[in-house]
Amino acid sequence: MSTGLTFANCDHSKDPIVGCALEGIATTVAGIKDVSIVIHSPQGCASTVAAGYDTHEVDFTKRKVGCTRLFESDIVMGASEKLKDMIKQADQSFDAKVMFVVGTCAADIIGEDIEGLCKQLQPEIKAKLVPLLAGGFRGNAYDGLDMGMNALLPFIKKRQVKRRGRKPRIVNIIAPQANLNPTWWADLAWVTQTLKSLRIKVQTVFSHNTSFEEVEQAGEATANILLSHDIGYKFANKMQQIHDIPLILGDIPLPIGVNNTTRWLKALAAHFQIEEKVQPMIKQGEEMVVDTLRKRALMIIPRYRNCRIAVSADGTLGIGLVRMLFEELEMIPEVLLFRSAMTDSQPILERELRSLGISPLVAFSADGYQVKQALEESGVDAVIGSAWEKYMAEELGIKIAFDVFSPTNRETYLDKPYFGYEGMINMMEVIANDWERAFRSKEIHHT
Amino acid sequence: MTANIDGNVVFYGHLSELYRLAKEGKIKTTLQGSHTRPCKFWTATKILSGIKNAIVISHGPSGCAYGVKRAYKLTNSRNSGSPYEPVVTTNMSEKAVVFGGEKELQGAIREVDEKYHPDAIVVATSCASGIIGDCVDDVVNKARQEIQSEIMTIHCEGFAGEYRSGFDIVFRQIVDFMEPPTPERKAQLADAVNIVGAKMGPERTEVETDVKELVRLIEAMGARVHSVIAGDCTLEELKQAPSAAVNCTLCLDLGYTIGKAMSDKFGTPLNSTILPYGISATEKWLQGAAKYLGMEAEAEALMEREYAAIKTEFEEAKQYIQGKLAIIEGHDAIKCLSIAHMLDRDFGMRAVIYNFHPWSTEARETSVDYLLETGLDPEILITKGTLAFGKYESMKQTEDELLDFIGGLEQESVVYFGSSLSFPHIPVVDLNAILNRPRFGYRGALKVAKCIKTALQYGFRPRSALTKQMVFPKNSGLASAQSLTGKLAQDLPDCTVYAQKKRGKCCQE
Repeated sequence: MSTGLTFANCDHSKDPIVGCALEGIATTVAGIKDVSIVIHSPQGCASTVAAGYDTHEVDFTKRKVGCTRLFESDIVMGASEKLKDMIKQADQSFDAKVMFVVGTCAADIIGEDIEGLCKQLQPEIKAKLVPLLAGGFRGNAYDGLDMGMNALLPFIKKRQVKRRGRKPRIVNIIAPQANLNPTWWADLAWVTQTLKSLRIKVQTVFSHNTSFEEVEQAGEATANILLSHDIGYKFANKMQQIHDIPLILGDIPLPIGVNNTTRWLKALAAHFQIEEKVQPMIKQGEEMVVDTLRKRALMIIPRYRNCRIAVSADGTLGIGLVRMLFEELEMIPEVLLFRSAMTDSQPILERELRSLGISPLVAFSADGYQVKQALEESGVDAVIGSAWEKYMAEELGIKIAFDVFSPTNRETYLDKPYFGYEGMINMMEVIANDWERAFRSKEIHHT
Repeated sequence: MTANIDGNVVFYGHLSELYRLAKEGKIKTTLQGSHTRPCKFWTATKILSGIKNAIVISHGPSGCAYGVKRAYKLTNSRNSGSPYEPVVTTNMSEKAVVFGGEKELQGAIREVDEKYHPDAIVVATSCASGIIGDCVDDVVNKARQEIQSEIMTIHCEGFAGEYRSGFDIVFRQIVDFMEPPTPERKAQLADAVNIVGAKMGPERTEVETDVKELVRLIEAMGARVHSVIAGDCTLEELKQAPSAAVNCTLCLDLGYTIGKAMSDKFGTPLNSTILPYGISATEKWLQGAAKYLGMEAEAEALMEREYAAIKTEFEEAKQYIQGKLAIIEGHDAIKCLSIAHMLDRDFGMRAVIYNFHPWSTEARETSVDYLLETGLDPEILITKGTLAFGKYESMKQTEDELLDFIGGLEQESVVYFGSSLSFPHIPVVDLNAILNRPRFGYRGALKVAKCIKTALQYGFRPRSALTKQMVFPKNSGLASAQSLTGKLAQDLPDCTVYAQKKRGKCCQE
């Protein structure tokens, strides 16, 4: 795998396009139903927690958040009493079954003993108190997602009776929200519906609309499926160690594009020994893609062929996109810019690039400066990314920018998966419209 | 006051009385834990985002920089034609928290100077760097000798002050970038004003914004605007700003801080009024500017011209509402006070501000003082719901209480000034809707008048069952703008909305 991208003056300064660990933790907690959160922090952190709720599109009536609003005197003198009062008030007002008590940078650094306080206070509180230290300095949002999920591990009950014989088809789904699809829950829905049609039960989703009971019962699953290439591997490893639940499909790209979707479905079927069941799905899906594109998108063939493109994405969508763009749409991905470090999934990318026979320039944990720099030096025809990359492209004179990922400028009223066969068509629809806009005349010739 | 609501009233009286009670500590002014505002870091960086070619280095974990970048910079790119702009962070890790982050900051300053060649670098401290006690000032002072850019520190740890303290500290400190007036510059800028109190960046390109209207009025008077601070002002503009004829506050509350600082340091005159909603407030604003420009006659002529252009339609609209009761949603304290001023002075309405949190008496002290000095002392109604814990719970309770209040009044005599996401059975005038801009100046006064007239003319139409269900799914009760998608919540101001099952539902239901 080629890296080949070097950036000067980036050792100490970063122009972030990913949030901090608190946002990641909040994005895990917000996916659990009927919980409340008390943030032990200055009030600004409440907006970071709100971003976690926004990621899940949680209705406002269901957001139960209290903040201790720490000020200077609290930092100097400590704020345990303030936290106790807030927990009691939140318990009374919100009446949730579980309350996450989250300490952010300030509380974390001054050494507020949130765990001890929760233990001490628990007898007086109806909700189950779950303490979490979530200082933003503990990493970026991806690290935070990992931390949030690992914090749920102690609550997963161990199966008492070891299974013998053939194991039932029950899976947990991990980290669906680590996905830059603006309607990523549609990807989760595609996966769960696919599993349902194959008579594979979904035990627990970590996490989206997940009840705490479901978290506790996650030990009942017989396999874990990870829907991210950026995070979740540590959690999956722990699930294997503690609960003997293996991670499946963890060494192949997620189902982006026709070939990756087919491979993913086949691998899923192979694990559960239901190969014959998945064949009609594959056939139908592949035919749908071809039929749709030949009716409505014939022009893409000369347009996209040998278009030199940069990809700025997360690992979740980015890895699978490489094959879709190169093999299926005949573009040439020359630059790959990933938002996370992808420590555990780099081998998947390496294998993909080797099998495709290409060596694009690659950067991991790319920040805004690096993305822009890479685009400037690359001379590509097009970039696929988010609104950030769209603005960069405009400034740099890159004519074509596909605004496909979050944050996006597009209004999307209907949920659109990017996974699966339909997902490919959805992405291509965005790409096609952005292409049209790029080349449509912006001048009016007045007579 | 109706009997139903009496039991839920925390305060019903005039602003002056509320103000007195707050100052005497007889009414609680702290926000409840469920009702947060942006912290000092957020408000400080909102102002800093309005200085062109200035890079903010957030000395802290990445979340602080990322949050403000997503909120301010992405919005500026979307709406105001700004190019992609970074907000840089030193990305403090656990190691830096334990061992100190000064080296990282030193390196970051050097790198930013090299990478971006900004006119100015502003180092903004965060909770983390503030608590561990990094000597940021020392690092900055040393770096000053080594880099091309100008550089400054803003101590704006999130815990270090209430919401507005971030605005204040930046407005006070950027005065340090400014240069004393010189006779040459004063002569050059004798016909120029600064508009002070802006934030975040340039104006939206596709909207007739309030600031654009003020600029138009200044230019129509024969003067010019030297700089909008901090609405996309350059460092060079800041340096020369003290030489302008006068500083005119855009927002009295925020503009006053920088105006006073410039007045104290450089003697730059200050024209400080309430937000220029409506004719009366606009006249004061223009007259205040004209006094220092020596353009009183031009100002009078301008005001006559401007009023003449809108008179017919304005007076016609006025007839619809003169003498009526205006219930003004009080979540945005400055706006609601300014609207109350306009409705009283220009339209002859009786204004009652609802849901005005006592916290606002401290946060908006300058505006409150000004309003009372002008002789306007609107009625304030605060019900228990306003102070309840839980954002949703608070709004639900507030909604019930307000509907009780409206229910006891003659429906034809009441107009609600608040968000269209409200569905009371009285006409709703939404002055925040984007089609209803500008709101400042004479054009703004006309827009407001037309908005009111339209709301009243079409008051017969029941609100859409579709949109009502969008806001209130059946059986859900109350919601606010924040119950809708995250993107929508960013675009709309928060507001209180009303459940359809309670009193105040549409008469067609």
